[in-house]
Amino acid sequence: MPLDTSSYSLALLRLDGRRWNELRRITAQISTMPSADGSSYLEMGNTKVLCTVTGPCEGGGTRDRDRADIRVELAIAGFSGVDRKRVGRGDKRVSEMVSTIQSTFASTLFTNLYPQSTIHISLHVLSQDGSLLAALLNASTLALIDAGIPMRDYITASTAGSTSSYSSNDESADPLLDLNTSEEQELPFLTVATLGGSDQVSVLVMETRVQAGRLEGMLAVGVDGCKQVREILDDVVREHGKEVLKSGRL
Amino acid sequence: MPRELGPSLNERQFFLQALKEEVRIDSRGFGDFRAIQLDFGDEYGVSDVRIGKTRVLTNITAEVTTPFPDRPFDGPFTITTSLSAMASPSFSGPPSETEVLLARLLEKTLRRSGALDTESLCLIAGRAVFSIRADVHVLSHDGNLTDAACLGVVAALRHFRRGDSEVKGEDVKVFTMAEREGVALSLLHYPLCVTFSFYEGEVVLVDATLSEEQMREGSCTIGMNKHGEVCQIAKLGGAPVDAVILLSCSNLALRHVERMSKVMEERLLEDAKRRYKGGIKAEPSSENARVP
Amino acid sequence: MTSLKRSLAADPYSANISSKVFVRSTKSGKVQKIVRELYLRQDIPCSSKLCTSCLETAPRDAGGNLPPFVLSATPAGTKKYRSGHYLVPDTNALLNALDLFEQASAFYDVIILQTVLEELRNRSLPLYNRLVGLTKSEDKRYYVFFNDFRLETYVVREFGETINDRNDRAVRKAVQWYGEHLSKAVGKKAAMPAVVMLSDDKDNLRKSKFDGIEAISLHDYVSGLENADQLLDMINVAKEGREVRDAKAAQNLYQEYFSVSKMMTGVKNGTLHQGKFNVSPYNYLEGSIHVPAFDKNLLILGRENINRSVQDDVVVVEVLPKDQWKEPSTKIIEEETMNKDDNADAEDGEAVVSEKERKALQETVQKVHQNSFETNPQPTAKIVGVIKRNWRQYVGHVDKSSVSQSAGRKLQTVFLIPMDKRIPKIRIRTRQASEIVGKRVLVTIDSWDRDSRYPVGHFVRSLGVLETEGAETEALLLEYDVQYRPFPKTVLDCLPKQGHNWVVPPLGDPGWKDRRDLRGLNICSIDPIGCQDIDDALHSSRLPNGNYEVGVHIADVSHFVKPNNAMDAEASMRGTSVYLVDKRIDMLPMLLGTDLCSLKPYVERYAFSAIWEITHNAEIVKAQFTKSVIKSREAFSYEAAQIRVDDTSQQDDLTNSIRDLMMLSKKLGQKRMDAGALSLSSPEVKVQMESETSDPIDVKTKVHLDTMSLVEEFMLLANTSVATKIYDAFPQNAMLRRHGAPPKTNFEELANQLKVRRGVELRTSSSRELADSLDRCVDPNEPFFNTLVRIMATRCMMSAEYFSSGTQGYPEFRHYGLASEIYTHFTSPIRRYADLVAHRQLAAAIDYEPLDPSVRSKGKLEAVCKNINMRHRNAQQAGRASIEYYVGQSLKGRIVEEEGFVMKVFSNGFVVFVPRFGIESLIRLRDLAESEPESDFDAENYILTTSGSREVKVELFQKVVVRISDIKEESTGKRKVKLELVRTGGK
Repeated sequence: MPLDTSSYSLALLRLDGRRWNELRRITAQISTMPSADGSSYLEMGNTKVLCTVTGPCEGGGTRDRDRADIRVELAIAGFSGVDRKRVGRGDKRVSEMVSTIQSTFASTLFTNLYPQSTIHISLHVLSQDGSLLAALLNASTLALIDAGIPMRDYITASTAGSTSSYSSNDESADPLLDLNTSEEQELPFLTVATLGGSDQVSVLVMETRVQAGRLEGMLAVGVDGCKQVREILDDVVREHGKEVLKSGRL
Repeated sequence: MPRELGPSLNERQFFLQALKEEVRIDSRGFGDFRAIQLDFGDEYGVSDVRIGKTRVLTNITAEVTTPFPDRPFDGPFTITTSLSAMASPSFSGPPSETEVLLARLLEKTLRRSGALDTESLCLIAGRAVFSIRADVHVLSHDGNLTDAACLGVVAALRHFRRGDSEVKGEDVKVFTMAEREGVALSLLHYPLCVTFSFYEGEVVLVDATLSEEQMREGSCTIGMNKHGEVCQIAKLGGAPVDAVILLSCSNLALRHVERMSKVMEERLLEDAKRRYKGGIKAEPSSENARVP
Repeated sequence: MTSLKRSLAADPYSANISSKVFVRSTKSGKVQKIVRELYLRQDIPCSSKLCTSCLETAPRDAGGNLPPFVLSATPAGTKKYRSGHYLVPDTNALLNALDLFEQASAFYDVIILQTVLEELRNRSLPLYNRLVGLTKSEDKRYYVFFNDFRLETYVVREFGETINDRNDRAVRKAVQWYGEHLSKAVGKKAAMPAVVMLSDDKDNLRKSKFDGIEAISLHDYVSGLENADQLLDMINVAKEGREVRDAKAAQNLYQEYFSVSKMMTGVKNGTLHQGKFNVSPYNYLEGSIHVPAFDKNLLILGRENINRSVQDDVVVVEVLPKDQWKEPSTKIIEEETMNKDDNADAEDGEAVVSEKERKALQETVQKVHQNSFETNPQPTAKIVGVIKRNWRQYVGHVDKSSVSQSAGRKLQTVFLIPMDKRIPKIRIRTRQASEIVGKRVLVTIDSWDRDSRYPVGHFVRSLGVLETEGAETEALLLEYDVQYRPFPKTVLDCLPKQGHNWVVPPLGDPGWKDRRDLRGLNICSIDPIGCQDIDDALHSSRLPNGNYEVGVHIADVSHFVKPNNAMDAEASMRGTSVYLVDKRIDMLPMLLGTDLCSLKPYVERYAFSAIWEITHNAEIVKAQFTKSVIKSREAFSYEAAQIRVDDTSQQDDLTNSIRDLMMLSKKLGQKRMDAGALSLSSPEVKVQMESETSDPIDVKTKVHLDTMSLVEEFMLLANTSVATKIYDAFPQNAMLRRHGAPPKTNFEELANQLKVRRGVELRTSSSRELADSLDRCVDPNEPFFNTLVRIMATRCMMSAEYFSSGTQGYPEFRHYGLASEIYTHFTSPIRRYADLVAHRQLAAAIDYEPLDPSVRSKGKLEAVCKNINMRHRNAQQAGRASIEYYVGQSLKGRIVEEEGFVMKVFSNGFVVFVPRFGIESLIRLRDLAESEPESDFDAENYILTTSGSREVKVELFQKVVVRISDIKEESTGKRKVKLELVRTGGK
């Protein structure tokens, strides 16, 4: 039995040696799939996801004639977790994530520019180590930018937790940023996504029980994390842009 | 599948204009619920929740089954939701997104937060457990299904009595209510949901009707118990909302949860009184005070 | 297309990121590969107050607070390390002697490395929890240094290197870094404290010498301390007891059970024996079993021989060869203290018998060997199979130290410590460990596999917070299997429709058929104060011939409870009402128990009457039984009746008839005593409650009144008469009660104790002789001595039991304690099911109604007897436990000095009985003084002499003064009555 999250209070160090307000290493690339209109590959620690965007293409507009539909597909590889297991399409957790991503971008992209058409976002999870929804949202943002679909601003996401579990009613609990799997299993946490590094929250999902009083701290850290993520993603996009310019592909 | 008919342009404009003037179509305050009516059936574990014109019926059943091999000590607790065409024509056909999200929200609020103590349902480890099933039937849909369904399930769980049981070696005997008094389920806390609807970035409505729901830009459901513990938050996309507004929503949610808990408490008490027939039947207790 | 491969140069972090990869296997045997990231950093402070450079980079928490630096700038030194030292223990050192580190006299300024902490957690969660507790205490100055996260001290496991070697290397590297870091911080100018590695691993010590790292063995280090002697003792004790880290747990499993057919044949041809397994309340590693083939109980010693049996299991044993026979141990061994550092979550094979247990038992065995020339070892056996598990639901509490603090709702394994000391700890897998800590919980055992030291079970439900009245009462009811649930509808449907309005119908109603009208008699009842379920009433009148007519009238319960309906089934299952201090758990619904059946005064009630004609000398002329209707004149309490009898101015008929009864009862009693009836004793106290808050306020010993004997005598008379009558009518299936003569061996120990200590001979060949010799056990200076002996003698007795007359020969009917040839229970049908059966049989015997087939069937009757015997025993125990609990509550927050008597002497403790509170408790040697005194146990003379830290001489039967207090155990949160020895001898 390795140490668990209760050891944080001993030296203010998390299970992987981070401090409370540190993100894991985030690396990303865009235009990874030449065949797609837009694509990205993103790592948040050991959580690794691929995203491709196709479209806008003709057809669709079933919900609203004046806007483009957004279709999201999510495939979680059987080998992505510790145990090899298939995640079926009917899984409620997956459909919830799909619906969340779909609805988030529906109100971020200027879909009214593409009436009667569809934008496909296809996501693949290669490896999971916590903050999955956040990684999926970030990867989608990058791929959508790569596809050149106009949007209001970046959607960036991260997770925030609290160092003390619900039951140990610890007053001095610190909020935590960007949780990995073992922290997600033991601690309360939420996933938050904001628009363009502002305080505008477009996704807020929490599935664990926590005292209402801790919510504010967690949310503040999460929103701040989103801002940091935005800077990182922005760098990736600008870096990519520079390269494209350099190579003269335009 | 017949399409859900959205409000017309005229309706939409009228509604939004009204919001600007701080008026809701049915003249409620922005943070007010419609009238909540909670009734129980003659049998244990049946609840009937009415919030305005929305009506949700919940029925709890228990049976002895074998547990899942990876959870030999836990009694399965399943919540199924059926949105029939009776409630809204758009509900016919395969489960819609609404239905999946409703089921998932109930599951997160009730199951993941550990409201029902499933370990206490174990009779023989790995062999026999009580499995508890909550069937949620939406009879009429006029918005805010989540809050109504959640209240319905929690009330029904609290009202439910399972047959008493006895384990002798490998045999499990479940007694009927006549043979032995039923046993209430062990619930660790009572989480309830409050859903907020967002308009124009800053207007926040509580307990939206169906047409209000159709016109909203985003929503957020907060599951809480009356002790002020947040059990789940679900703002699944939609228009962005300021973080501060979300925090104030959680405070408002607590007020509503406290109020709903009180209603539930009162109604359960009334139901218990109704069942109390008086006379000698009222003296079933075998535990009696003793004057030392 | 761009490659997905990450370019290393572009990544600013890459030097600081490593990953930890390990493989673990799950319970189901699955192998998982876990990959974890490690972010190595340079801002982990050394936390020494000498260092200023760390202070600048030290981390802050979310609130911006800086955790204070821990390690003193001027740490204590020893002879060897004159300029002070910081200690860095390795895992072995902590495993072996965590007790040392908890000492107040030494071991300050200690650096605990992450590597060590992690390893310790793997080895023992309770030790880990203790160590974490230490690091949080401010004055001990313990600092946890996360060496595996610090870039400079992180060590990569080399190819082929064992994990232990890597960890040792990590420890050495950390020690080295600390040394270098501190010397940089302090500079050349001052003397720097040494950083010393403490280790018991020779290899590690050697390697550190090679690397030039300051290291010392625990033993050598402690020798250099001031109070070395005392501390050294602690290491030695610890060292022998524990398995060292590297030792692979020996694959010793419990012996496999024999097949059923093998056991059956074995039992049939006498090579194996079957019986019920019993565990000693003082030593959980010692059990005994009574089998027909041996007079003496067979002894079962040690975990291997007990072989997964639990109290009350029906087991098959094989007697060991005579050279392996042992004496019952004279030592107290408690599981709670013995295996307190065990890991609940044993992932890899654990030894079935812990080293510590083996040693504890060996010690006792050695003791036996030393004086083997005088002792006679008892036949000893081992369990080879279990015929029937009698596992029930057990009440207990979760061992807090086995709970991982932050697992949230993750599944974890914890220990449950049952309330019943004879039941082993149970491993429970649960998701709500953190919620059930500090609660009374109910669990069941599911299985006990060969490779698991402890049985495995599951959580059933929580009864509430420990020490709350509700939780403790329910715990007690569950522990004694008292059926306390409400009466179900089917039972209530059997009640008379009129409810409380039911009255005796007017004369001429069919209900009056064969009923005598006794409404004119001067009948009264005498019961304890506040009694609501009045079973019996009495009357007496003088006959013209000078004799007396005496009547005992018993509630006619069989009129209301007809055989074979739901109410009868429920009553039969409950068997008896249970009386707790503040509660009564009824056998029959309230309507009957406290109203319709209860022989309340001033109202007419149905009764079953036994009427005798008795001469002035208490000779019985004739007896007759009849159903009747009575009207009690008065319901007295014992006290009220006594006052009335004693008050000579009261000359009414009722009072005079009570006086007659009193006179007759004394004569009847004398006759019984002459026949050899025993007057036994059990500690009886009464708890007084505050009337409003119902908090217990005081404990009183019960006072005996003549009116009590009055009622008792006539009830005995009624029971005996009825027994004769129903036996005459139904020789094959009368419901009777017998009390077997105790086997002589039962008294052996007590007789020997009396002989050695007091020179009194206890003769036990008949009840008469026993009664006489008990009368002679008096100490003129100590009136209580006689009672003490009687209490101890009572425990040597067999317990009385119900039986059906067809199952025993007539000589076996005898009631030993009452010295009666035949006996039954007839007088309390409201609260005992046996009496109800006797009522039905008596009604049939006097041709009042035909006998129901169910009461005639031998098989059914036997089943009923078996059940009510069990219920009766449980009810008694529950009642006692309830008193014990309330006595404990009344002592809450008080410290009392009280006289007590030594009842039992062990080699490492003794049992003291305090009559004032009726409590009996163990005083261990280690409770006598801060450090456990040396002791010398003289088993032949029952004398325990201690020397060293405290000098006392404790003898059996001795009067002592004890301080009684009530303590809350920190580890369990459980309240306990604690006895401390103040002095020997009286006040």
